[in-house]
Amino acid sequence: MTTSLFLVQLINGLQYGLLLFLIASGLTLVFGVMGILNLAHGSMYMVGAYLAWYFVEHTGSFGLSAILSAAIALLIGILVERTLIRQLYRRNHLDQVLLTIGMIFVFNALQSLLWGNDPLGVAVPEPLSGAVPLTEVLEYPVYRIFVALLCVAIAALMYFMINKTRLGMLIRAGESNREMVECLGIDIRKLYTIVFAIGVMLAAVAGVAAAPMSSIVPGMGEHILITCFVVVVIGGMGSIKGALVAALLVGLVDTFASVLLPQLSSMMIYILMAFILLLKPQGLFSS
Amino acid sequence: MLFNKRTERYFIWLFFPLALLLPLFLEQNTFYVSKLTSVMIFALFVMSLDYLVGRCGLITLGHAMFYGLGGYLFWMIAPEYEAVNFWVYTFYICMIAAAVALVIGFLVLRTSGIYMIMITLAFAQMTFYFFSDSIEFGGNDGLFIYVKPETSIFGLSFFDLDNPTHFYYLCLLSLFNTLVFFRLLIRSRFGRVVDAIHENPGRTTALGYNIFLFRLMSYVIASALGAYAGYLFTLQYGFVNPSMLAWTTSGSALVMSILGGMGSIYGAVLGTFVYEGLHYSLEHLTEHWLLFMGALIIAMVMLFKNGIAGYMEKLLEKRV
Repeated sequence: MTTSLFLVQLINGLQYGLLLFLIASGLTLVFGVMGILNLAHGSMYMVGAYLAWYFVEHTGSFGLSAILSAAIALLIGILVERTLIRQLYRRNHLDQVLLTIGMIFVFNALQSLLWGNDPLGVAVPEPLSGAVPLTEVLEYPVYRIFVALLCVAIAALMYFMINKTRLGMLIRAGESNREMVECLGIDIRKLYTIVFAIGVMLAAVAGVAAAPMSSIVPGMGEHILITCFVVVVIGGMGSIKGALVAALLVGLVDTFASVLLPQLSSMMIYILMAFILLLKPQGLFSS
Repeated sequence: MLFNKRTERYFIWLFFPLALLLPLFLEQNTFYVSKLTSVMIFALFVMSLDYLVGRCGLITLGHAMFYGLGGYLFWMIAPEYEAVNFWVYTFYICMIAAAVALVIGFLVLRTSGIYMIMITLAFAQMTFYFFSDSIEFGGNDGLFIYVKPETSIFGLSFFDLDNPTHFYYLCLLSLFNTLVFFRLLIRSRFGRVVDAIHENPGRTTALGYNIFLFRLMSYVIASALGAYAGYLFTLQYGFVNPSMLAWTTSGSALVMSILGGMGSIYGAVLGTFVYEGLHYSLEHLTEHWLLFMGALIIAMVMLFKNGIAGYMEKLLEKRV
């Protein structure tokens, strides 16, 4: 493997890892704070990508499309939490699994009803469509670098929000002791709605960001869901820091495996997960 | 969590005589006989999962691994153009699957809860990619089984596997035997300890039981039966392919088991028949059947806390 090829794979791996983090962070946040195992999280990624396509077709502007998609995702999040998820806080994980599998079915059906089953594509927005030269012969697309930077920015924003703001303080408090937060006169239900909606929005934003890089196909949600679960479990359920480390690890392992060990590439991240869980049964950063 | 014995007895007396007589009315229609056969095979698979998840509290999302393994193992060990004995190969396949489960269970059972869900998924996905990426095993297309086994015992043959009605009765017998087996297992001393572990692992350990050993045994039993179901599936359709191993197979089995009433064993049969029945009829009514299926599942979670079996028991309790 030459140095330039190595460099490209390294950037690819980091960029894929950062995108995975964006999706996985929502999943782990919702689990950590609310104790809800949301299998429909991948569907929100899919919904984000489809919404991005829809609004680009109708408004012509990728930026506007991204804002509209995020707003709609936020609304979906609030609605779903208020009507369905709220009923399940006192039930066990299996009921949550069943409910969210039902939600996957509904989202998949709506997707095929509204947008059909043909693969769709979104063009890379004009100002970001170029490429930067890495070496004399290699170039790297600007859009992918932009997505990576966006993910870093969102990660930083989340870090700031959770550690420095009042909302973040409540989230951390709710994570460690639900009853105590309630006794202190804080409406935990409102907090849960906010957290769930933020989680859904993060997945949808990742879907929007991924739309110009990959084709938009039915079933894309389930595929990413499994990968995100791998990330969240390697990192330790509920740990956002763990999700970041694990997402980068999974991104790099997956990217390099497809170059170095093509015959094992699809298995590699599962081998990694099994290996880590056998050494540390609670994940890397368990609380 | 404890399910009412009486409801189970009602179910057995209602379901099995009905299933026994059904092919007489469907004599001209082999399509429905085959369809019911495949639902019964899957019900057997769901039942083995239900024991593991509902009775032992070991939640796995990798049970399909053994379902697929049952099929692939038959292809691997049976000669390609020669009819082998069904019973002998049932024994072989269950034994090999049990050995595999012993090794994997040893690793997997060190974790618990959500981590166990994920590590079982990891092993299942590895198996999935192993078979779907390899040329020797037919890749994504899977493999054909050219010759079906014969079923003679001591020279007497009751079932001809090429005849759909005969195969139907073989599967019904298998389902019945599995249900009876689990009933006996749950009522045995072993089953009581397993229930105790589910209820409170700490106290059961304090009573001097090696809970790891009981969990491992349960895992091995359920996995071997799961492989048996996969073996029957392969014989029915004459092929194996990686979709048997896919995580969605484990996922839908889990849905059926929760729908039926987790841990009730007979609920697995109810859940599978209701799910497959809805699937089949909605698919014929509308192209967008998934929407209604999803909505129905959501409604059922909201309304039935202990699945269909739990709901039926509540109804019967009220009346008496």
